[in-house]
Amino acid sequence: MRSRILRVLGASDEDDPETAEPDVRTDGGTTSDAAAASGETSRLGQWLDSEFAKSLPFWLPATLLVGLFVYGAIGWNFLISLTDWQGLRQPTYESLDFEMYTRFFDSVFAGGLLSGPQEYWALRNTFVLLVVFTVAALAVGLLLAILVDRDIRFENTFRTIYLLPMSLSFVVTAIFWAWMYNPESGLINQTLGAVGLGSLAQQWISDPQYKLFAVMFALVWQFSGYAMVVYLAGLRAIPSDQYEAAKVDGASLLKMYWRVIVPQLRASTTSAAVVLMVFALKAFDFLYVMFGTRPGPSADILAMMMYRESFGTTNWAYGSAIAMILFALALGVIAPYLYLQFKRGEL
Amino acid sequence: MAELQLDNITKTFDDGGDEIVAVDDVSIDIQDGEFLVLVGPSGCGKSTTLRTIAGLETITDGAIRLGGEVINDKRPQDRDTAMVFQSYALYPHMTVRENMSFGLEESTDLPDDEIRERVTDTAEMMGIAELLDRKPGELSGGQQQRVALGRAIVRNPAAFLMDEPLANLDAKLRAQMRTELQRLQENLDVTTVYVTHDQTEAMTMGDRIAILDDGELQQVGTPLECYHEPSNLFVAGFIGEPSMNTFEAHTDGDRLVAERFEYALSERHEDAIDGDNVVFGIRPEDVEVGSDPDDSHTYEVVVDVVEPKGDENYVHMAFDADRENPETFTATIGGLRRVEAGDTVVVRFPPEAVHLFDGDTGEAVLNRSLDTVEDVEPLL
Repeated sequence: MRSRILRVLGASDEDDPETAEPDVRTDGGTTSDAAAASGETSRLGQWLDSEFAKSLPFWLPATLLVGLFVYGAIGWNFLISLTDWQGLRQPTYESLDFEMYTRFFDSVFAGGLLSGPQEYWALRNTFVLLVVFTVAALAVGLLLAILVDRDIRFENTFRTIYLLPMSLSFVVTAIFWAWMYNPESGLINQTLGAVGLGSLAQQWISDPQYKLFAVMFALVWQFSGYAMVVYLAGLRAIPSDQYEAAKVDGASLLKMYWRVIVPQLRASTTSAAVVLMVFALKAFDFLYVMFGTRPGPSADILAMMMYRESFGTTNWAYGSAIAMILFALALGVIAPYLYLQFKRGEL
Repeated sequence: MAELQLDNITKTFDDGGDEIVAVDDVSIDIQDGEFLVLVGPSGCGKSTTLRTIAGLETITDGAIRLGGEVINDKRPQDRDTAMVFQSYALYPHMTVRENMSFGLEESTDLPDDEIRERVTDTAEMMGIAELLDRKPGELSGGQQQRVALGRAIVRNPAAFLMDEPLANLDAKLRAQMRTELQRLQENLDVTTVYVTHDQTEAMTMGDRIAILDDGELQQVGTPLECYHEPSNLFVAGFIGEPSMNTFEAHTDGDRLVAERFEYALSERHEDAIDGDNVVFGIRPEDVEVGSDPDDSHTYEVVVDVVEPKGDENYVHMAFDADRENPETFTATIGGLRRVEAGDTVVVRFPPEAVHLFDGDTGEAVLNRSLDTVEDVEPLL
């Protein structure tokens, strides 16, 4: 191994006992004469012998790639967000300031209800999506997990059915739900009409009142299966005598789950919530397929706005600033989780 | 507080079309305030029996009565029982106080301060008052065990159900908790059903013990009844450590002929026996080692292995030491008597200590005579 590294690095392998015809000691090392004769290479050799050097080939390539393409890109994006770059010219890096960020937050807080600018709506919807979608998907997932866990027939089939939507791409589910929501031929309005509830039929994805709700419903449909699988694993880890103890203690079914079982699923909730929130922040594809780049204020989110600003109106610097804000949000979601893991010594 | 009656209860499980009988027609009447120990080897149905009382399993047939009321179809939460699990089943996310309050909060309408007071009182009685604000994960096994007991006691139920509650403790602590649990049960005077596979626990703790094997009730009786008057071979072999020595034999006139020895029967023996096949049994402590060879019922045997226990020695001996795998039987002798492997000794099987069992059914036909039992004279 060592001689190979030496050869790769083009270094002398004079003191290598295999090739250098040294005064071999009985313990397999070389005599100090040979080492002294090449002080320079021996220090290099020593360094190459260290654990650090030996571990390099395993982590360095990946680190370089990730460093350049992920963290490098983030850094560069941040740099661009500090410029005033727009249009088709090259960016100039002379005057770097936080103007784009102040512009964003000024707009957010300048906006009144309904008449507010796109920044306000995009940020607001992003938060609503983040919170409502996550909570709803967790709740539905938990309910499904509890039902599937209760020794039902065809358990595996149900599990697969519920998890299946998650494996579909956003493009597929967005088109699918666009059909479902179609005011004339869509399954939802058709069904409502068929059972005599035609008055409840709505313009689901064009009426601003229902737009975001419709999107979240579809996303919950797609991702509650994932929450279910995470919860199911959590439920399986709880020994059956916990259920039995609660029952003997006099707890009703509802109380048993609410007070004994669900609190023990905290770890599952945290990990599922983090993943769901990250998905919520990335819901761009879904909205893009359903509405194009202009979903209107009621369904606009930061990711969509970033795309519009950058690639629609070529406000590169402003788009980058929005991307950084989105990045900060994602960090805000992940950081507490990582901190918790770190504190528990699981990192 | 109530009496608990198990009336011909049967529990069968369906295992892919096969019917498995876990509990087979078991009837036990447990008196109010009685400590009944259900004991048997693993898989004998003792835990299932306990779980049917708690309502965690439904019974296939029969009736369970608690305080005279049939509780077959009641849900576990509506039965007035408290259970202690082998794993303790403490709720890991709750403090000790919350663990102990949970049952009262769920099963009673007591106001919060009353619950608080009861939990505090019970915790003090159990010596866990200073642990009330800790979580189960921060407690030692022994402390968790106390909390589990406290959680059951605070409920003040009609019956305690305990499923091997001491099994996870180390030997020293287990012996200590054994006496403590007994004292607690006596003071609280609550009907208790205690499941264990450990015959020492059964012998020392129970007012009565019920021995189960293969789902069937073998015997119910006081520990000493079960020890001295086992109703069949299974009970004789299960109760007592080391186990009773048994030898298959057949009658020949007034003698009993076993494979390697013959035993002259007394009149008492002969009256009891009917049928040819007999199992001859004798407890290890009844085997007299080092008898006068001229005495009756004496045999020359070779010592195979000696297990010193300090207070006494278990001596494994064989009639047929010359064989490859000699069939041994056991005698216990005082710890200060020395005997070594390979020694030839004379043993005596005293006629009054002999148990005889029917060779075909295993039922006891004659148990040892208890005429020689003597009371310790009180000093005052």
